[in-house]
Amino acid sequence: MALFMDTGLLLRKVNNLRCFTPRRNRVKEKWAATRAKYPPTTLALQHFDAAYGIQLGHLWPSVRAALLCERKYGALVNNFSDDDVLSDLQDQGCRDFISDTDLEVHLEQISAVGVEGESSDLSTKTSDISHQQLSPLQISRNIKCLVFPRGDITRFKPAKPDKFGLLGYYLMDAASVLPCLALDVQEGHNVLDLCAAPGGKTLTLLQTQCLGFLCVNDSSISRTLRLKRVLHSYTPKPFLSGDNLRITSFDGTKWGEIERDTFDRVLVDVPCTTDRHSLVEDDNNIFSRSRTGERRRLPQLQLELLLAGIEATHPGGEILYSTCTLSQTQNQSVVEQAIHLAQENHSIHLQVVDLKPLTHMFRKTFHFAPNLHLGEMVIPHLAANFGPIYMCKLKRLT
Amino acid sequence: MGACVAARQVLRWSVRSATSSALFSPLRFGCCHVQPLCISRRLLCSSGSDCILQSNHHGVTDLSGKHAAELSLRSLVNMGFTDSQAEQIYETVSKAKGASSAKHALSALSSLFALGLNASTVGKLLEKCPQLYTIKESQFQQRIGNLRRQGLGEGSLQRVVSHYPQILVVPMKKINNVGMFLREKCLFTVQQVTEILRDSPAIIEEDLGELEYKFQYVYFRMGVKQAEMVKSKLFRFTLNEVRSRHCFLERRGLYQTPDKKGQTLIVNPKLNSILTVDQDTFLAQVAKASAEEYDVFQRLMAREWQAEEHQENFEAVSDDDEEEKDEENEGKKAYMRRKKK
Repeated sequence: MALFMDTGLLLRKVNNLRCFTPRRNRVKEKWAATRAKYPPTTLALQHFDAAYGIQLGHLWPSVRAALLCERKYGALVNNFSDDDVLSDLQDQGCRDFISDTDLEVHLEQISAVGVEGESSDLSTKTSDISHQQLSPLQISRNIKCLVFPRGDITRFKPAKPDKFGLLGYYLMDAASVLPCLALDVQEGHNVLDLCAAPGGKTLTLLQTQCLGFLCVNDSSISRTLRLKRVLHSYTPKPFLSGDNLRITSFDGTKWGEIERDTFDRVLVDVPCTTDRHSLVEDDNNIFSRSRTGERRRLPQLQLELLLAGIEATHPGGEILYSTCTLSQTQNQSVVEQAIHLAQENHSIHLQVVDLKPLTHMFRKTFHFAPNLHLGEMVIPHLAANFGPIYMCKLKRLT
Repeated sequence: MGACVAARQVLRWSVRSATSSALFSPLRFGCCHVQPLCISRRLLCSSGSDCILQSNHHGVTDLSGKHAAELSLRSLVNMGFTDSQAEQIYETVSKAKGASSAKHALSALSSLFALGLNASTVGKLLEKCPQLYTIKESQFQQRIGNLRRQGLGEGSLQRVVSHYPQILVVPMKKINNVGMFLREKCLFTVQQVTEILRDSPAIIEEDLGELEYKFQYVYFRMGVKQAEMVKSKLFRFTLNEVRSRHCFLERRGLYQTPDKKGQTLIVNPKLNSILTVDQDTFLAQVAKASAEEYDVFQRLMAREWQAEEHQENFEAVSDDDEEEKDEENEGKKAYMRRKKK
């Protein structure tokens, strides 16, 4: 770069663009020879001990042990694949946790569910007050996710491509399927996935095969590329055409301005401290000292994204907010603030949709945190090492 | 040992010159070298089992008197064995090949009685450890002497032998190696080594490399010092048992590795309360977790450790030219090398 004499400013000659590149995009030239004294994973653990020890109380030791041990995966069945994935996996001992529940779920009809104890026949017993409060449960259809039974630590083998080159199943945290189920995507709905990368939940939404139009966005270009690769491995080309799908890399917080009052359903799966990942991986860890500022701005970013998602939904539509952290500051607090600000600044009236029926339905497979005043949370447990996943569903009334 | 030999000689001379004395009457039946030793033991030992020794001597000397190496059921019963025990011993000896098998059996029996063990214990030991029959007389005495030198005095010696008879079957070198290893590598005191041998005699069968790793794990990773290790009978437990319980507590946040100054943010449970209790008590009181969690945890850990070992073997092949010169930290470095991710 030469000196700009005519502007009157003297710029020092710059050899390379390193000082202009954001730190996170720089290539690492020098690698440390010894391990850091307090690596980011240790810092993360200390942080969690302090925060969650209080928040979860006596549940924290079990959650802590589960977070530090190997996670459990679920196999999301690819409905576009030719192979009979379902029976193959079932032969290995897995079962589809979505259909394997005590309760019957009518997707079109509304039915009150109230099963007490081990009885397999359904009867609308409403002797318990909590059952009376259970509103009808509707979940997105066609999604199948297989898991090994409780306490079984068998690993899934990698998926193999079928004769069209599409993979049979996608390995992901089974709890990540829950937000997509809770979103309750119905026939012909226009759906927005605001922070889609790396693409697990997007893929899950595509499995419903009843979407009108799907908008997929992530603020990071590199992660969007990864998302595209995932979609190409699992979905046939016709489903990825411009008539059905749009993939973008815009700043998600601007959506209120871009496409206001447009969508039937919006999934806001915000960037968070990714608790499980932060305890295990040192690379690119959000608890490293260089990313402290970024980490402290997270709740603000999450709030802006949620508000954008709310603005993008048309009245009568639903928004699902989800994170993969246990932290109250990134979960309940964000939702509460968003509801408040939406009312204050945009006169948008929101109603919280009760997800208790969902937790009741899947209580055999997952451990849910008890007594959350807003939303529901899957907490890790050694015998069911899924999560952490927090979700909260909002319905836009005005 | 010298005193014994001297005493034995003295007795032999006195025996030869003695006429008939009630005390020495059994000797009329022959000059088996076993007898004086038994008696010298009786004189030198202060154990209170005199009458048992007396009756056993009668039985043994009866046998030795016959010379024909006959180990009949009746003589066995005379020694104090029950009928079933006598039958079993007789059978085992008859099945054993070689002409001297009966003689060996005889010497084994007499040596065991000489220790001061009663007949029922001896019977159980022989059942538990049939190799005892094959030990030669001299070997027997040498090994007993060696154990005494290791610090196992009266009472302790009998206890160890009755709980773990295999300790008499292994060569002295093995026991001495273990003792030396514990003193020099692990820096246990001599008294502590004796206590370890007494409480966990099975340690002699363990591979020294594995033993070292177990010690280093508890010393460095758990921050436990030698005295507490001895008190909690650490060497009775396998490495996996220790690791499982420790890692379970560690991942639950109930156990922390002490820092350089030996401090932790929380109070670690004592090694005693972790190891010596049964699993249910451990889960209920120390870990405060369910059995289901611990069961899954153990399986996950087994898989993790297997993967670590694989990784380690892979790295060891490519790691051969590294050398540690630092004596002080050698122990810890060796441990960290094996432990590193």
